[in-house]
Amino acid sequence: MRLLLVEDDVMIGAGVRAGLRQDGYVVDWVQDGVAAEAALDSQQAFALVLLDLGLPRKDGLALLESLRRRGNRVPVLVITARDAVNDRVRGLDLGADDYLVKPFELHELAARIRAVLRRHAGRAEPLIEHGDFRVDPGTRKVFYQGREVSVSGREFSLLRALLDRPGQTLSRAQLEERLYGWGEEIASNAVEVHVHNLRRKLGERAIRTVRGFGYVIGEASAACRSGASLS
Amino acid sequence: MSIRRQLVVALLTALLATGIGASGATWFAVRKAANDLFDYHIEQMALSLADQTLATPAQAAVPLGQDYVVQVWDAGGVLVYISRNGAPLPLLHAGFENVSLDGEQWRVFTLHTPDRAIQVAAPADLRSGRATAVALRTLLPILASIPVYGFLIWLIVGHGLRPLTEIAGAIRRRDPASLDPLPERPMPEEVAPMVAELNGLLLRLREALDKQKRFTADAAHELRSPLTALQIQLDMLARARSPGETQEAIEGLRGGMKRAARLLEQMLTMARLEPQADARRVPVSLDQLVAEVATGLESLAEARRVQVRLARLERSTIEGEPQGLHALVRNLIDNAIRYTPAGGEVRLALFTDSAGVAIVVEDTGPGIPAADRARVFDRFFRLPGSGADGSGLGLAIVKQVADAHGAIVELGEGDGGRGLRVTVRFQAA
Repeated sequence: MRLLLVEDDVMIGAGVRAGLRQDGYVVDWVQDGVAAEAALDSQQAFALVLLDLGLPRKDGLALLESLRRRGNRVPVLVITARDAVNDRVRGLDLGADDYLVKPFELHELAARIRAVLRRHAGRAEPLIEHGDFRVDPGTRKVFYQGREVSVSGREFSLLRALLDRPGQTLSRAQLEERLYGWGEEIASNAVEVHVHNLRRKLGERAIRTVRGFGYVIGEASAACRSGASLS
Repeated sequence: MSIRRQLVVALLTALLATGIGASGATWFAVRKAANDLFDYHIEQMALSLADQTLATPAQAAVPLGQDYVVQVWDAGGVLVYISRNGAPLPLLHAGFENVSLDGEQWRVFTLHTPDRAIQVAAPADLRSGRATAVALRTLLPILASIPVYGFLIWLIVGHGLRPLTEIAGAIRRRDPASLDPLPERPMPEEVAPMVAELNGLLLRLREALDKQKRFTADAAHELRSPLTALQIQLDMLARARSPGETQEAIEGLRGGMKRAARLLEQMLTMARLEPQADARRVPVSLDQLVAEVATGLESLAEARRVQVRLARLERSTIEGEPQGLHALVRNLIDNAIRYTPAGGEVRLALFTDSAGVAIVVEDTGPGIPAADRARVFDRFFRLPGSGADGSGLGLAIVKQVADAHGAIVELGEGDGGRGLRVTVRFQAA
């Protein structure tokens, strides 16, 4: 899951990035509004934008406004020191999905990111359930056909990317974009390796290869499907 | 003490005193007039008696009231006539005289003719009685009018003081937190300056309060950033899984702490500067101050591997506020060190020329783009990309102290167009 962090304060930016990385997110960090705009224009893979408002070169609210005007619907979570009700209302009205006032705790930030992502995916419940999969983004636990499977951070991210749009095929490049931030070394076969490992843990049918296109999440097994309908 | 009561008492006392004075004067005047009249009267009586040939004293054709006494003496000094029963008045020299007889005061006129002496006398208290009656008649209307005057004065003074009462009421009814000016309706000229002064005071209070409010709001806003950084590092520490991560988080906490402490210190400096606009001025030796501050910042410079050089240090003393000037010099040098990359240099110069005393601090840092130079004096303004260390208050403090001392702050490029050169110029006294 790749996030764009827009924060001009070096200490806060570095801290948030380190914290979210521990949570398994891929975090790209820019320090001004213009750089943020460029990043969003060139890269569609961001699942969410963490936006500070008091930014050099282009103010956060202006950035948000122009983003929405151009039809970019990426979820935006505003993190700011401006706590006046008017500021919050304006931020939300301009198209922010949530508003977090500084100072905040990392786990609240993480919870809000999960909530925004959940809402954006059109779910109300915290668990992602699809077919044989039950995934808890909060605890990063994966259940497949009722049993818990331990997966690495990247594997989890890959699984989430596929589960976010079930039935949609994601190319290797699209998956790479979602799994790796700027400047990160990517082995040419990185995605294949993660898919391979996941299949080893979950079974061959969990992730299907669409030849020439990429990967798609596997169909639910018959047993599980009937189980789901019974419950 | 109420002005109204004071005025009523004072005016009535004055009125009463004038009344008593007037009736006293009347009493004296009337008594004098009465005396003259009575004297004339008894003199005329005596003269008319002298003209008559008194065959027998009993034939005296003078109409005598009860009060008058007439005595006639012959040339031998024998009393030949007395108009009443009783002891005679003594024979006196010619003219008027006051005589006491049997406890009674008499006014006597004695007329000597060649063959006899004629005396006419009247009781003295008769005259004083008349004079007192007349004087009292003068005083009476004044006494009677005092309550009326008192009432009128009470009303008039009350009316005159109404603008004051109204202002007092307006102040009493105010919202205690309100610093709005009092309504400037047409006012008597005695009251208008007071209202104007009061409004001036309210305005200054309001400006000061607004300033404080803005500062508090700014400060609260600015403190959020270091607090956020601290909170995040604390969270990182709590979830650290290896000694390396723990160490990293602790380093982060330390940095955040240092930053918050510095911000706080700068805010306090700024807040302390606020009310000292009219602080006492004393001679301050700038060369000592600059040398002292530079020495104090040596360790910071060392830690940042920045060379601080005293290029020129002339003796110069100005009249100023020592604490403020210390903050100014410290922030100038501290700022220069902080924004200079490792291996760079900060040059200090202090000299006097025809325009006055100048402190020049030059660094080899990134400088300030001309477009941003006006804004860097704003509180909490930080240049984009200037790092997390600055409080955004350094140059604001410099500017504030400079303003209080009538000094000018100029920003420019360092030698060779790079770095920042700050010049603080104190006007020659």
